[in-house]
Amino acid sequence: MNKIVTLQQSVMAEDEKFAAAIRDRNARMGLLMVNIIGSPGCGKTTLLEKTALQAGLSMAVIEGDLATDRDAERLARLGVPVVQINTKGGCHLEANVVEKAMESLPLNTLDVLFIENVGNLVCPAEFDLGEDFKVAVLSAPEGADKPLKYPYLFTSATAVLLTKTDLLPHLSFDMEMFAEDTKKLNPAAPVFQIDSLSGAGVDQWVGFIKLKAKEKKANVR
Amino acid sequence: MHELSLADAIVSALSKMCEDEAWGKVRKVRLRVGALRQVFPEMLEFAFETVVKDTPLSGALLEIEEIPLEWRCLECGNRWREDSGVCPLCGSFKRETLAGMELEIHSVEVEET
Repeated sequence: MNKIVTLQQSVMAEDEKFAAAIRDRNARMGLLMVNIIGSPGCGKTTLLEKTALQAGLSMAVIEGDLATDRDAERLARLGVPVVQINTKGGCHLEANVVEKAMESLPLNTLDVLFIENVGNLVCPAEFDLGEDFKVAVLSAPEGADKPLKYPYLFTSATAVLLTKTDLLPHLSFDMEMFAEDTKKLNPAAPVFQIDSLSGAGVDQWVGFIKLKAKEKKANVR
Repeated sequence: MHELSLADAIVSALSKMCEDEAWGKVRKVRLRVGALRQVFPEMLEFAFETVVKDTPLSGALLEIEEIPLEWRCLECGNRWREDSGVCPLCGSFKRETLAGMELEIHSVEVEET
């Protein structure tokens, strides 16, 4: 005889335990954790470099890449505590690996911990790492149609960043469509336009992160 | 793209449960997947068939129930299913997701030992 057992449990239940533990510890420490998600080459690492150069924010980074520690090297050169995770082909990070990576960071000295997820607009958005929020990064050359093509990321992000705006004069980027689609998917999310090379827009982005870090510290229970 | 990770998580969780609960073979797994979860059913089925080999779930059938999305307006209480971020009735941006985010093992059919 067969019997039916009702479970109603999340598919990722095991990994979600790690995410919950991370979230709980961060809440106690008042540490803000931000999960940065965008395509390969959209400027995630450059943005983090520029963020690190702004005064008044104690930050660390966990780098997720398929291979190499090049991104970590770039940030380490700026004195940013950084841990590289190589997923060896894995398309996203999971909370259990993030938890391990956090062990080697000076967590109690930080205002914010950035997770630079594996370059990919699909899978990283699905996995809870215990972060406070996700940030969707889209570079202008990728095209204005991407929010609708990757709705899950743009719906679940707390902020949306449009990078490489210095290239806009050379592209047929439909700004109106981008603004409309982003608003449709995620009406509450602020959109930051950033040119990391000149630094335009970096102030507003860092200001946003500082505000969130301050809120987090104020809410330590 | 992450279907293999999901299949692996399902099979690991249920294999452990099989041992803990002293179930016989698992015959069927019922999954509920929301429309917003970016899961491609055929790919998940294929990944599942691959991952179950040499586990207590070997030969089990994976049944995927797809849950359509549903939103509720926080201003006027209207519910809608269309893929629109604003309330079609009052135009408000304030909404909550009622359905479409599910990703759960709903139930399993197992042989009684």
